[in-house]
Amino acid sequence: MGNVNVNIDGRKIRVREGSTILEAATANGITIPTLCHIKGQVPSGVCRVCVVEVEGSRTMMGACHTPVAEGMVIHSKSPKVIAVRKVIVELLLTAHTGDCVNDSNAENCALHNLASDYEVGAPHFNVRNPRFYPAEESNPYVKRDMSKCILCRKCVKVCGEVVRKDVLSIGYRGFRSKVVSGFDEALTAEACRDCLKCIEHCPTGALSAPARV
Amino acid sequence: MVPSKKEALSENGRAGLLPALKDRAGREGCLNRESMSGLAGQYHLPLNEVYGVSTFYAFLPVLPTGKNIIRVCRCLPCHLKDAQAVIGSIKKELGIAPGETSGDGKFSFELVSCIGACDQAPAMMINDKLYGDLTPAGIAEILKSYA
Repeated sequence: MGNVNVNIDGRKIRVREGSTILEAATANGITIPTLCHIKGQVPSGVCRVCVVEVEGSRTMMGACHTPVAEGMVIHSKSPKVIAVRKVIVELLLTAHTGDCVNDSNAENCALHNLASDYEVGAPHFNVRNPRFYPAEESNPYVKRDMSKCILCRKCVKVCGEVVRKDVLSIGYRGFRSKVVSGFDEALTAEACRDCLKCIEHCPTGALSAPARV
Repeated sequence: MVPSKKEALSENGRAGLLPALKDRAGREGCLNRESMSGLAGQYHLPLNEVYGVSTFYAFLPVLPTGKNIIRVCRCLPCHLKDAQAVIGSIKKELGIAPGETSGDGKFSFELVSCIGACDQAPAMMINDKLYGDLTPAGIAEILKSYA
């Protein structure tokens, strides 16, 4: 495949045809935030944080899953993009129950860092059904606090497609969606070993290493 | 090792899972751990995936249900045609709220996403039978036919 010419934030960039906007930007030192994308894996485009403006397109495009095309003019930091991203972060925060702000793990929460970068505070709108799940600490390798989960599906993906253990899936639907293992039960030590890949990829504090006693 | 999703798809027709779940639920009333584990083995899928599929679809009962399942549409067209009044009428008639099963085990009452009968809104299904153009006053008679 050949190369195509695109313009990102006013910079002329030549990239391999078939690259995504995110790849093109990253290769040229332009940062586009993402919470759900795993480099090298098929993009899922679920978190929407990577939206960019593409001239001539009616809607915003997810940078992680939109391939570049010849002559594309992309804005990754325009006022419109920033405004939309703020709302997306605000929406993600509504489903992110927990006390990350005071939590010792807060600096590891990519969502909180993003909220801070984009100056997003508590949601402006009412939250009807806060998601709350008791934290699961039965597994010796992974502590799961699903209240903090933003359903980015990275753990499902990495467990299935990278580690190929397929221990996690998305259960239920809509507001009730949740990452489940087995019959929606606590992770057993038999099912989940100590590869810790999901912890590595979790953008929030939903998956973490249990405190050593 | 559990085969990857791709392997399961090529070897065993993962697409067969949904009809199999529906068939199993129809015969056994609801899907329990045992039936899901069985199908997971049969289709070479992890149990969590079978559970994920089962809990996604409102028409696959995961909890024990009553003999008859009432499913009232809660989507917008039905809402605009006052499905809320119909829901109220069912509540009053059976004395149970959505998500509950009547004490005599005859009825389970659920609210579901669009059942594709917007032209007859407000609509509900009892088991496999569709009831459209519902009125709160007509509920008692419909329920009586199942008593």
